Amino acid sequence: MPKHYRPPGKKKEGNAARYVTRSQALKHLQVNTKLFRKLCVYKGIFPREPKKKFRGNHHTYYHLKDVAFIRHDPILEELRAKSTYLKKVTKAKAKKNRELADALLKRQPEIKLDRLVIERYPHFVDAIRDLDDTLTLVHLFAALPATDRMKIEVKRVHNCRKLSHEWQAYIARTHKLRKVFISVKGIYYQAEVEGQKITWLTPHGLQQVLPDDDVVYDVLLTFLEFYETLLAFVNFKLYYSINVKYPPILDSKLEASAAELYALSRYFDANTRTSEQVAETQLEESELRLAQLQHQLPSNEPGALMQLVKGPADEIEEDEDTKECKKLFKNMKFFLSREVPRESLLFVIPAFGGNVSWEGEGAPFQEGDQSITHQIVDRPTQGHIYLSREYVQPQWVFDCINARIILPTEAYLVGRVPPPHLSPFVDNEEEGYVPDYAETIKRLRAAAKNEILPMPGAGVEDLDDPQNLLAEGYISRTEAIEAAERKQKMMTLEKQYHDELKMELQSTQSSSASDMNKQSSGEDMEAREESLPDMQQIANDTANMSKILMSRKKRGLYEAIKKGQERKKAHVDLLKERKEKIDKAKKGKKN
Amino acid sequence: MREGKKVSVEVSSKKNSNNEKNKKNQTKNNNNNNDNNKNNETKKKESQNLVKKTNKSGRSVQSQNEASLKSEEVEQQQLSATDSDSDYQDFSEDDVSENESLTQSEDGESESSGDEVHGTGDDMNNDNDDGPADQSDGSQSQRGVEESDSSEDEVAPRNTIGDVPLEWYKDEKHIGYDIAGKKITKKERQDKLASFLASVDDSKNWRKIYDEYNDEEVELTKEETRIIRRLLKGKAPHADYDPYADYVDWFKYEDSLHPLSNAPEPKRRFIPSKWESKKVLQYVRAIRKGLIKFDEPKEEEPRFYLLWGDDSSTAEKANRLSYIPAPKSKLPGHEESYNPSLEYIPTQEEVNSYQLMYEEDRPKFIPKRFTSFRSIPSYENAVKDSFERCMDLYLCPRVRKKRINIDPETLRPKLPSRKDLKPYPATCYLEYIGHKGAVMSISTEASGQWIASGSTDGTVRIWEVESGRCLRVWEIGESVQCVAWNPSPEHPVLAVSAGQDVIILNTGFGNEEEQKRVEELLQVENPTAPDDSDNMASIVSWLQDERLGGIRLRHFKTVTSVEWHRRGDYLSTVMPADILFSVYLIFIVFVYSFLFMVESPTFRAIVMHQLSKKLSHRIPFKLHGLPVSSVFHPTRSIFFVSTKKNIRVYDLLKQKLIKKLETGLREVSSIAIHPAGDNVIVGSREGKLCWFDMDLSSKPYRILKCHPKDITNVAFHRSYPLFASCSDDCTAYVFHGMVYSDLNQNPLIVPLEILRGHTSSNGRGVMDCKFHPRQPWLFTAGADSTIKLYCH
Repeated sequence: MPKHYRPPGKKKEGNAARYVTRSQALKHLQVNTKLFRKLCVYKGIFPREPKKKFRGNHHTYYHLKDVAFIRHDPILEELRAKSTYLKKVTKAKAKKNRELADALLKRQPEIKLDRLVIERYPHFVDAIRDLDDTLTLVHLFAALPATDRMKIEVKRVHNCRKLSHEWQAYIARTHKLRKVFISVKGIYYQAEVEGQKITWLTPHGLQQVLPDDDVVYDVLLTFLEFYETLLAFVNFKLYYSINVKYPPILDSKLEASAAELYALSRYFDANTRTSEQVAETQLEESELRLAQLQHQLPSNEPGALMQLVKGPADEIEEDEDTKECKKLFKNMKFFLSREVPRESLLFVIPAFGGNVSWEGEGAPFQEGDQSITHQIVDRPTQGHIYLSREYVQPQWVFDCINARIILPTEAYLVGRVPPPHLSPFVDNEEEGYVPDYAETIKRLRAAAKNEILPMPGAGVEDLDDPQNLLAEGYISRTEAIEAAERKQKMMTLEKQYHDELKMELQSTQSSSASDMNKQSSGEDMEAREESLPDMQQIANDTANMSKILMSRKKRGLYEAIKKGQERKKAHVDLLKERKEKIDKAKKGKKN
Repeated sequence: MREGKKVSVEVSSKKNSNNEKNKKNQTKNNNNNNDNNKNNETKKKESQNLVKKTNKSGRSVQSQNEASLKSEEVEQQQLSATDSDSDYQDFSEDDVSENESLTQSEDGESESSGDEVHGTGDDMNNDNDDGPADQSDGSQSQRGVEESDSSEDEVAPRNTIGDVPLEWYKDEKHIGYDIAGKKITKKERQDKLASFLASVDDSKNWRKIYDEYNDEEVELTKEETRIIRRLLKGKAPHADYDPYADYVDWFKYEDSLHPLSNAPEPKRRFIPSKWESKKVLQYVRAIRKGLIKFDEPKEEEPRFYLLWGDDSSTAEKANRLSYIPAPKSKLPGHEESYNPSLEYIPTQEEVNSYQLMYEEDRPKFIPKRFTSFRSIPSYENAVKDSFERCMDLYLCPRVRKKRINIDPETLRPKLPSRKDLKPYPATCYLEYIGHKGAVMSISTEASGQWIASGSTDGTVRIWEVESGRCLRVWEIGESVQCVAWNPSPEHPVLAVSAGQDVIILNTGFGNEEEQKRVEELLQVENPTAPDDSDNMASIVSWLQDERLGGIRLRHFKTVTSVEWHRRGDYLSTVMPADILFSVYLIFIVFVYSFLFMVESPTFRAIVMHQLSKKLSHRIPFKLHGLPVSSVFHPTRSIFFVSTKKNIRVYDLLKQKLIKKLETGLREVSSIAIHPAGDNVIVGSREGKLCWFDMDLSSKPYRILKCHPKDITNVAFHRSYPLFASCSDDCTAYVFHGMVYSDLNQNPLIVPLEILRGHTSSNGRGVMDCKFHPRQPWLFTAGADSTIKLYCH
């Protein structure tokens, strides 16, 4: 009998034996689609692509081993038991036996996903690596309204909020945040934990729209269930690594009264602040003290949690990046005006070493504080102005973070249209198009680096430093500010000078180079044109020549790559064209 | 006095048979009556009684009426009174629900509808109520009956129609009939306007009610309105009624001799319950055993712990397939910023133009600009995006794919420089102009001095290669499909296919001796084709063509191509129009004397002819598929026939199939053989060129996709390592095709040049290409009626 002969009804081999379609898998596991989906989500099982799709292209294929993996997991039995249990509840409800139904619901068996977490992510790094979607979904649900219709419970929303704040608190305290980007879709954050870059998206803090038709909330909630568990364990591990107890014990009363949470949080916040200051003076923090602090923490203020983790975090050795991030807003005091979305700024500024306060009861310092260096304002005009501080728009903070330098604030002053906010995730050179503002930032960065070098050498600077003078009590506060301003002006002037110098240098170099190029290329062109009239055609021909000899596979690949390059180029060209038009229009206006 | 009467009424009524009760109630009634009387007295002052308005018992009224009319005898009245009373009792009970009565009596009744004791009392009340009311009424309406001393008897017969539903007379002018059968007419109704005006003028209008039954308008008194108000509030109708009066216990215990029950108190009243204790015990046991659980809030053990304690211990590998992490979502670019630089924002026209695109091509995200942080709206697709991501995570098959990040130029094969491969035809050197139609075919003479061309204008021309001079023209009359020089220099003849004919022309070249031999050859003694099979005659007939000075071979189908044997001895023609097209071998002179047998009538395609004897024969090979063209091997007696899909190679000596070359092409159009004979190139209608190495495999060694349109012809150079293809896209490709004598080395194929210059006409481009036999020159025949010579 030849090897390939298989009598009908006998065992299969090859792909048909190794893979099953989705419906086959359902039959094999004796589950319905919903349960299967749940199992897949919990276990992290996904369809795989067989080399040969034996049932056709429109089927989803699962590997038989994956299916067996689900089959042997106790979670399958647990879920079945739960569904059976829920039948009891429905029965009780149908018989109008309210008490029994309630009692049954209360005594519901709880399904724990711990085992699945460790099974899916045997190493902590694996979990960290896969955290993007987790964080995005948890942050989204933290902002969603709880609705019965969509089965989004208040409890879950609160839990999500808690988890997200815990995460943010850790990131801010350990200064792991690297990049922030405000997009139309929300705010993207990128942090670096354990060497892994984690990017997540938080929605803008507004009322979210819950679409009815094209979203199945069960799927989202199933994912969320696993993600909540995962994130909680990850948070535990992270808190453990900086010697903080997890979970932070929160006031139960606060949690219960969700409506008053906002008002109460400030009050509690004030308490934490004062006690925290005390705690700071006593350098060694005992466990008891910590517990006390935690006890007073409100759940929805990330700032409060941040204070908590403050002490121990300092001990951990930090890499270069972290050090740089930590120092960015050092010795700067920010004050958020009432209209500024606080949530993100309260997270971001401390993450880069700044001090923040806001308008409200629990704030660490008031608006009138003279030491405030920057006030973040998001309104057309500012009424009362303290001369000692700068009034900037929130975008300035984010741009500073992405550029890793303190940018000049002129462009970001109140009432002005701020310069374009650029994505920190784009490699401009690779993209082929560098926006103007990216160029200026680059130059500023270079200038800043250059300037930093001579600074420590100059002893005069130390004397001039207004902070020192202040400490000695030589001059009054206003004078100090003036001095600071003068100094800053000088610095900016210097910077400008440097910039201009550089620009000039660059331009001369580039222009000469380009001239040379132009000349040579022009000559070349002429020569060629004389010899061969149909240059374009011939160039095309020669390009096509070698393509003829490629194998089909390679040719396909080559063409695909070329197509991609062309598309990219077309995009860049379009941008350039638009840019030109805009510039022209501007010039026309000026003239 | 009235009370006394009451009692008498009670006694006389036969329906109240329950004397005991009556007796019992007597005293109670007294009390009640006292109360009621007080009420009634106040009522009396009012001009009209509410009782009138209520639906009273019609019959009693009737009888009373009757009585009053007929006589004033007391007895009769008495009788009627009893009647009325008894009747009234019946009705009053019925009417409870009917009349949401305003009267106290009926109200009282409704309160105690079930209770007989009260009922009787109420009945009396009713009677009492009636009395004074009737009196007053009587005084108004019936003067004649005034004398009657008993006010009770004079129940005002207000409406005498009896207990008849009013709706029966809704549309009539009368309201019913009196006892005598006369119509009782309705009162004149004012028209609406008048009544409205009247009502507007009348300040008391709001308290006027129309009594349908009695057909009159009634004005409520202040007292009555007060009663209505109280009733609306759900209070007792009369303000002085005390609903919480002290209870008067009728039974006096003091003077009773015996208790109600004489039984002694049972013991169980004094000892604790056994069953209760048993039940408690049961519960206690159940609780101890843990059968009963209390829903106390469980002590919450810490749910989270250090899951990744130390990584080394948990590193054991799970028995599962490798986990492929999901690809991370794409990071946002500049255009997704809330405040992108201006060049990222599409103009309005561009946004509008997106609407014209297909939905799949449309950009999913259109950049927008918000000038401040506060003006960013919430993103409406946030949940949807998340959901889609979740669905991707759960339903998208994951495959590990290596992302190649290579320079596309590295994919190009390394080719030797074209300069090293010179000479090859590169530029157009000469054009041969003269034809009026598309030049279908060209052929070079063996010496390379002349070329012949055939065109659709029906002419065959001979040109001098060097000068481009047209030497000779034959008018064939039909469009010429193919021309072919005899490769042997001794026989300078030209085979031309036009329509169904193949004409062998004497070109007139060569010396006299040769010319003589040719003329001898082109003589057909017997015009009909001599053949051993009789059906041969229908396929081909040999004729002498005097006009052109040659032989005309008339076929039964259109001939498309003519191919000479290398020695110029015989030639093959192809008739693809027929499904079973035939290839004729026409033996001109001596050589092979083998005979191909005719196998069957359907095998007409394959015939053999011997021309020295002017014979035609079929080829005895079976062709699987439609034949397209045929070629002779340049050195050996091997014959190539290309069908649409495959190339079949036959040995003419052994008369059998040697090889089948599988092209894998859709439709073969042309074939050419390398001068060494081991390599074949095949052109196809889909623009692909296949190179076969016959020693290597029956599959193509290389497939070159060069032309976007049909390849019309392919050609090898006889001495240079060159080959060419021409196509309907008006180009001809020249390749370097080096075949090494070392069998281990694969042939080297390098594309050299794309020759352009021809223009397309009727969708056809270059129809034919031929190399010069000695020089690296290429002739191309275009559908634009020119022939071009490309030189190096």
